[in-house]
Amino acid sequence: MVETGHFALVLAFALSLVQFVLPLVGARTGDARLMATAGPVAVTGFAMTAISFAALTVAYMLSDFSVLNVVENSHSQKPMLYKITGTWGNHEGSMLLWVLILTFFGALVASFGRNLPATLRANVLAIQGLIGSAFFLFIIATSNPFVRVSPAPIEGQDLNPILQDVGLAIHPPLLYLGYVGFSVCFSFAIAALIEGRIDAAWARWVRPWTLAAWIFLTGGIAMGSYWAYYELGWGGFWFWDPVENASFMPWLAGTALLHSAIVMERRSALKIWTLLLAIMAFSLSLLGTFLVRSGVLTSVHAFATDPARGVFILMILVFFIGGALMLFAWRAQTLTPGGIFAPISREGALVLNNLFLSTAVTTVLVGTLYPLVLESITGEKISVGEPFFNLTFGPLMVPLLLAVPFGPLLAWKRADLWAASQRLVFAFGGAVLVMLVTYSFVDRASVLAAFGIGLGTWLVLGAITDLATKSGLGSVSPGIALRRFAGLPRSAYGTALAHLGVGLTTLGVVGVMSLQTEHILTMKPGESVPVAGYEIRFEGLQPYRGPNYTEDQGRFLLMDSSGRTLTEIVSAKRFYPARQMPTTEAGIATRGVSQVYVALGDAVDGGGIVVRIWWKPLVTLIWLGCVVMMVGGSLSLLDRRLRIGAPAKRRKRLAAAEATA
Amino acid sequence: MVFWIVLGLLTVIASLAIILPLSGSRREVAGAREHDIEVYRDQLAEIERDAGRGLIGKEEAAQARAEIGRRILKLDTNDQNGGHVPRDNALVRGLAMAAVVAVPVMSWGLYSAIGSPDMAGQPLAERLAKDPASSTIDELVARAEAHLRANPEDGRGWDVVAPIYLRLDRAGEAATAFRNAIRLLGDSAPRWTGLGEALMAGSGGVVTTDAAAAFERAAALDPADPRPKFFLATAKAQEGDLVAAATDLRALLSTLAAESPWRPVVEQTLAQATAEAERRAASAAPGPSSEDMEAAAELSDAERADMIQVMVERLDERLRENPQDAEGWQRLVRSYLVLDRRADARDALARGVTALGTDTEQARGLTAFAAGLGLGEDQP
Amino acid sequence: MMKRKRKRLTIIAGGLTFLGAAAGLTFYALGEKSSYFYMPADLTTASIAPGQRIRLGGLVEEGSVERGSGTRVAFGVEDGAGKVKVVYDGILPDLFREGQGVVTEGTLGGDGVFVADSVLAKHDETYMPKEVADSLKAQGVWQPE
Repeated sequence: MVETGHFALVLAFALSLVQFVLPLVGARTGDARLMATAGPVAVTGFAMTAISFAALTVAYMLSDFSVLNVVENSHSQKPMLYKITGTWGNHEGSMLLWVLILTFFGALVASFGRNLPATLRANVLAIQGLIGSAFFLFIIATSNPFVRVSPAPIEGQDLNPILQDVGLAIHPPLLYLGYVGFSVCFSFAIAALIEGRIDAAWARWVRPWTLAAWIFLTGGIAMGSYWAYYELGWGGFWFWDPVENASFMPWLAGTALLHSAIVMERRSALKIWTLLLAIMAFSLSLLGTFLVRSGVLTSVHAFATDPARGVFILMILVFFIGGALMLFAWRAQTLTPGGIFAPISREGALVLNNLFLSTAVTTVLVGTLYPLVLESITGEKISVGEPFFNLTFGPLMVPLLLAVPFGPLLAWKRADLWAASQRLVFAFGGAVLVMLVTYSFVDRASVLAAFGIGLGTWLVLGAITDLATKSGLGSVSPGIALRRFAGLPRSAYGTALAHLGVGLTTLGVVGVMSLQTEHILTMKPGESVPVAGYEIRFEGLQPYRGPNYTEDQGRFLLMDSSGRTLTEIVSAKRFYPARQMPTTEAGIATRGVSQVYVALGDAVDGGGIVVRIWWKPLVTLIWLGCVVMMVGGSLSLLDRRLRIGAPAKRRKRLAAAEATA
Repeated sequence: MVFWIVLGLLTVIASLAIILPLSGSRREVAGAREHDIEVYRDQLAEIERDAGRGLIGKEEAAQARAEIGRRILKLDTNDQNGGHVPRDNALVRGLAMAAVVAVPVMSWGLYSAIGSPDMAGQPLAERLAKDPASSTIDELVARAEAHLRANPEDGRGWDVVAPIYLRLDRAGEAATAFRNAIRLLGDSAPRWTGLGEALMAGSGGVVTTDAAAAFERAAALDPADPRPKFFLATAKAQEGDLVAAATDLRALLSTLAAESPWRPVVEQTLAQATAEAERRAASAAPGPSSEDMEAAAELSDAERADMIQVMVERLDERLRENPQDAEGWQRLVRSYLVLDRRADARDALARGVTALGTDTEQARGLTAFAAGLGLGEDQP
Repeated sequence: MMKRKRKRLTIIAGGLTFLGAAAGLTFYALGEKSSYFYMPADLTTASIAPGQRIRLGGLVEEGSVERGSGTRVAFGVEDGAGKVKVVYDGILPDLFREGQGVVTEGTLGGDGVFVADSVLAKHDETYMPKEVADSLKAQGVWQPE
């Protein structure tokens, strides 16, 4: 079984090379049969990769310790769920997951791309094949998960305990679905450059892929953030850690691409820029993969610190980014420019969005890479952390977020800003009201905090205004407005929900950053402490034995001010004997959209224990907002506009044309 | 065999994925223009929908329609290359052939270089379930572990696995297993000896107080067993009490049968202890001289006890005169403890600490040493 | 035609001003808000302005961890060539241990005591903060196994 998987991997590599060469030559020479190989080869390549991945997963499930990768990352006593997730909880396995997703997307393009112009489809799949072969080669040459050991050890070394978590089980696959999803946009961009023309369907095809990748990436980032929040025991949701930035940059670029692709599709303007963004989104994904996989960064994600791997990925990175940009510089001129528009228009708003987002990408990129570059040039070691990003990223986001509600209300080509402002009066008034209420009635609320809360409210109300305006609320009777509301295209809901999600996330971030309270104290059993209007009583410590760990569980009761018990909070210090490693399991109680977060510290003399308690107002909105964004994106993805004319119809018409000719 | 068939099958599937489309009928390929028109048609339809719903104004809709119309016109004037004309040339055919050949050749070649086709998968459950005769010792242990996890109260299981752990140098697990066996099956000299050995192995060969206690239990349960006695003597040697160690070893030697496998070990250790003792005596340490020791060895029990008393008194006196001798104080404290004169031992400890300076490294070492012998400061 | 050109120029100029401002802010922030990494041995020679945030890395000195009242803790950070006393108020990471690598961030007080506001330890048993590992390897103190 294991060796079948190994062979399937090699076979998938060979197929990816064929997928690159044959369709590319076919598209160049106009040979239909060569181009026709792209689809079946892509699908078969995916099947082979799937067999390979399944074989590795089975090896994990059955604790086959004759596979080195299983020995290093699994343990026979681990719960089955974590045996399975252990497959991608390590460098080799996660790279296999990467190519699995890549070939999966290739197969999707092959299956659903029958209505694409043949040469475009062949070129896109060829580029997918090229990316695939580079990564297959990387896996086979430096990170083969199928290396065997003989004699097989009887026990494995266990998966890093902080990775044994449901959140982390789905975080990498989601993130990879996002990263790799951008590879399709990239391939479309390269295909357009190779052909020297952009088909009308181009943007229609790129947008759903961008949307899909963006949805997954949003989910992956949110999941990673929530995991860090409850698992690392620091109660932080975002650390501006280089690895987080590595996933955030493609997200920002993808968000920009999402918006510029709308302009391109509707007005066939911004073609060259959209192409460049498509290249950048995937390049940043590759950069993320490089930063995480090469070990140049110190992070929880850096499992692999083998210099050969770093150099290899760097070569892949340079080849694809450099190659793509060179091709871009050479061919971009041949593309015909599209429609024109006034600065105040939907297009103008989207350009503004792109300007801010791409500048934000650049600042994050500088903040992430500057320490690496500085160290390699001068040897000086610096760290660029939260203060830097607060000063640069923050000011960029504020005007962008302020402008968001205007965008959807502006007309294409030339718009009336004054009319849009009038429609937003209610949203503006609401936001100002919330701001004043926050400032006057919430303790500790600074002017900035109140402004932030107001900004979030502005976004939420702005999104609602958008839907209300589109339904004609106020200008037609409520009944008709309701009917029109129900009949709105899904993309309109999508836009509004995604913007609403941004508002919710903003509220959450501002709430936690400016209004949270922290209590660090030593507690003995029976003692209690008041936190944000609640009373938290420490009941005591209890030892507990899990399947592959032991832990001391601290039990706390959350009570309201009258002493009624609301819920129990269990926070624990866990110890995993296989890796001799302790972890903190935070205890969290959710009240509305806010949370009480309890982490245990060290025991002190005399039976007490150091306890860290946070009151985190609005914190769940951070992730809830992301979920709303994902729902919005999904609705947009389901819009019928993104489905392109049926191929069967056209073929019939072609045949009819031939018959008459 | 099945494995090779599967590999062959996969190769055939991969090759077919290339061959089938290549040998398919020559199809006319729709030109890019056709596709573009399809999209524009759809866009026009969308504008109608939006206008119908009142999402865009009449004027805006008219403008958009005009724009799309212009794009379609532009297509007609600009785009001459309709459908691709399929060409049949040698390059294409050669490339197709090469690809068909390359996939099997490359995959089998590469796999034979990096794969391990002769290694079957080894799922853990299967390894543990196979005939014990062909299992490795690791597998046997793992099987026993699995059994004990399910039945942690199976004393016999612990009893069997404990010595194996010890032999595999898994000292911590061996100690736990011996403890469990003792708890479930009761005292026995081999179990206590085993526990002692496990604890000793766990602390890098040093006989700790816990280990010594275990050996003493074993010796009490089976006075004929040479092992606990031997380790207890080793303990004394490790503490620096070479005289007592040598005495005990000699006594042990006299009880051993001539063919006992322990004889050479005991003899060798005895030789080492005596040699070490002589070396110390030679380096003018004011401890008991080798003559004293030899004399002690030949005395009767009562006489020996007397002689030890005398030696201890001598040491005590010497330390009163010359108190800056950390090692001497340690020896004195231990001697009193061996003689079961705890009060004197405590007194010696107190005097030693005062003499060495209350807060010095040496004094702390002495206190720790005494604590290691079971003489804590807080004990009555 | 002229009008359109001028319009375009205005837009381009606006965009460039925006980018220039963003770039300026970025480089200002890099200068002000990034913290340099030091090992204890470097601190004696480096000139660090009071109140400047730096990162201090090294090994937690054996036997140096003293727990004060509540969550206050003091420990030594050493690198074989020097050591610095660090005080910190908060919960130490799970894997904070004596003799292990650690990176702390904060400011150096006038009395030579480093006041840390965050302490990062390794994430698992084979992980050593990279900066620390590099410096220690350079000094021959630490050997990766």
